[in-house]
Amino acid sequence: MRGGPSNGRAPVAVVRAWMPLVPFMGFVGLFLLWPAVVVFRRALEQLDAVRAPMLEAITGQYGNNFAFSLRLSALTALLGVVIGTATAVAVVRLGQASTTRNLIIGWSAVAANLGGLPLAFAFIAALGKQGLITRLLSELGIDLIGAGFDIAGFWGIVLAYLYFQFPLMTLVMVPAIEGLRASWRESAANLGADTTTYWRLVGLPILAPPIISGFLLLLANAFSAYATAYALSAGGSRLIPVQIRFFLQGNTITGKANLGYALAAWMIIVMVVTMGGFLALRRRAERWRA
Amino acid sequence: MSRSVRRAPLSRLLLVAIGLFYLLPMLSMARFAFQRVPMYLLDRDTLLTKWTFMPLVDAVRRPEFATAALLSVRLAAIAAVLTLVLLLPTLVYAHVSLPAARPVLDTIAVLPFVVPAIALVVGISGAFRPIAPWFISSDLSLVPFYVVIALPYTYRSIDNALSALDLRTLVDASRSLGAGWPRIVWQVVIPNVRGGLATAALLVATVVLGEFTVASLLLKETLPLYLAYSQGADPQGTFAIGLALMVVTAGLLGAINRASARRGGATVTGVM
Repeated sequence: MRGGPSNGRAPVAVVRAWMPLVPFMGFVGLFLLWPAVVVFRRALEQLDAVRAPMLEAITGQYGNNFAFSLRLSALTALLGVVIGTATAVAVVRLGQASTTRNLIIGWSAVAANLGGLPLAFAFIAALGKQGLITRLLSELGIDLIGAGFDIAGFWGIVLAYLYFQFPLMTLVMVPAIEGLRASWRESAANLGADTTTYWRLVGLPILAPPIISGFLLLLANAFSAYATAYALSAGGSRLIPVQIRFFLQGNTITGKANLGYALAAWMIIVMVVTMGGFLALRRRAERWRA
Repeated sequence: MSRSVRRAPLSRLLLVAIGLFYLLPMLSMARFAFQRVPMYLLDRDTLLTKWTFMPLVDAVRRPEFATAALLSVRLAAIAAVLTLVLLLPTLVYAHVSLPAARPVLDTIAVLPFVVPAIALVVGISGAFRPIAPWFISSDLSLVPFYVVIALPYTYRSIDNALSALDLRTLVDASRSLGAGWPRIVWQVVIPNVRGGLATAALLVATVVLGEFTVASLLLKETLPLYLAYSQGADPQGTFAIGLALMVVTAGLLGAINRASARRGGATVTGVM
């Protein structure tokens, strides 16, 4: 099967074999890796600041904002995992031919990719001060705004993020749940297991890898989102991506020496950990299937 | 037996709840965009009155909208072509002549996942502004970044399409008939992976229509940016355009999913 000219040849031949890949690699290098390297190089310069920017970015006010971002992302990921998985179970139970099933899976594929300003608009129209749901609830005697709910605040952003987190988790879980064989369930029942025991001892252990990788994916997804939170909060959120914007105001990096770079560098580090975990788990699952 | 009967309503209840959660924000947005009744006057009597598409019609008639839409369409087209020109020869070569490079390319293709758009734009400012300010000030400077942002998805769709072929045999046969590389790619490979290429192009279009972060911080007036700018002056028209944009995006994604499902490949999940 291997016919690559790179195996066991002289270095010149190896270089020549890889030459045709240079345009692609150069492109990614120039427009992705170089900017990323610049982020880290500048984040590690101290300049005239009292404290190293990388340290400043995770202590004090910015440390709090990082905790706020991570807390919000983890909460939406957790809720996304629970509800998204439950939806996947319910949808799979409907059977292949069900219209409801196809509607929900089809819409999930769309909604998982929605975001940005239009999604923020939808939630402002629904749950803003003049929102339709706000109004419907007030007809039912529930005063959402009076209870302290603010679409620009923590819970408002959580709700809007769930709009793409739920369907993303459903899409991750449907194939995994369909992979559970009916015969496993029957065998468990024959051995005296009730539904709870089946899920505790058979279902969940099998589904654990996709659930964990799904959680990491959702965490990364929420943590890197920017446009929706920016639009909901009119630029005033404490979320780290919205904070970074302050340093890019006027189109140049201003303010505290290189703090914007340090915040961006920490974001990349968080993404490497979460997405790296997701991709590694995913690759392992694929190797099993093959 | 009785257990499964008792459990069924619970899962039905969940599906109804999730359906409402998906539906209500969209309905609210449609009402705001297409009904000329302020919220405080909305009640049983006015619920069905004064619905109109005029806010959308008026909004798309503005010259600023046309300018922004034109820029977005231009960016999508150029980024799609650049994606294909960059990926197809690279992947064909790797599949046919250098399989050892494929795991390396696979890894490179998912790298954009670990650099969030907001961090990328910080890096772009730091990297390009000092040495190539002319590049950043051009509207078309967004193109390569959109190619990169869409890469994890576009790479998958073209790689899957090529994997489904017996590429090596096709290429050997064409070569023995005297065809050179350009002719092989153009007349043999492309007709066989048209679906994958179309999917990749649609994926690029989806990314360009939705991308806000990079365009916003590089001050380019694309369609998503237009939404931000016109929101204050004409909220109703802006929400109408936002809704239309979501419908277009949903249509694109639906087309992508149907195309991939027909080819028996994995559907687009936003994952990979």
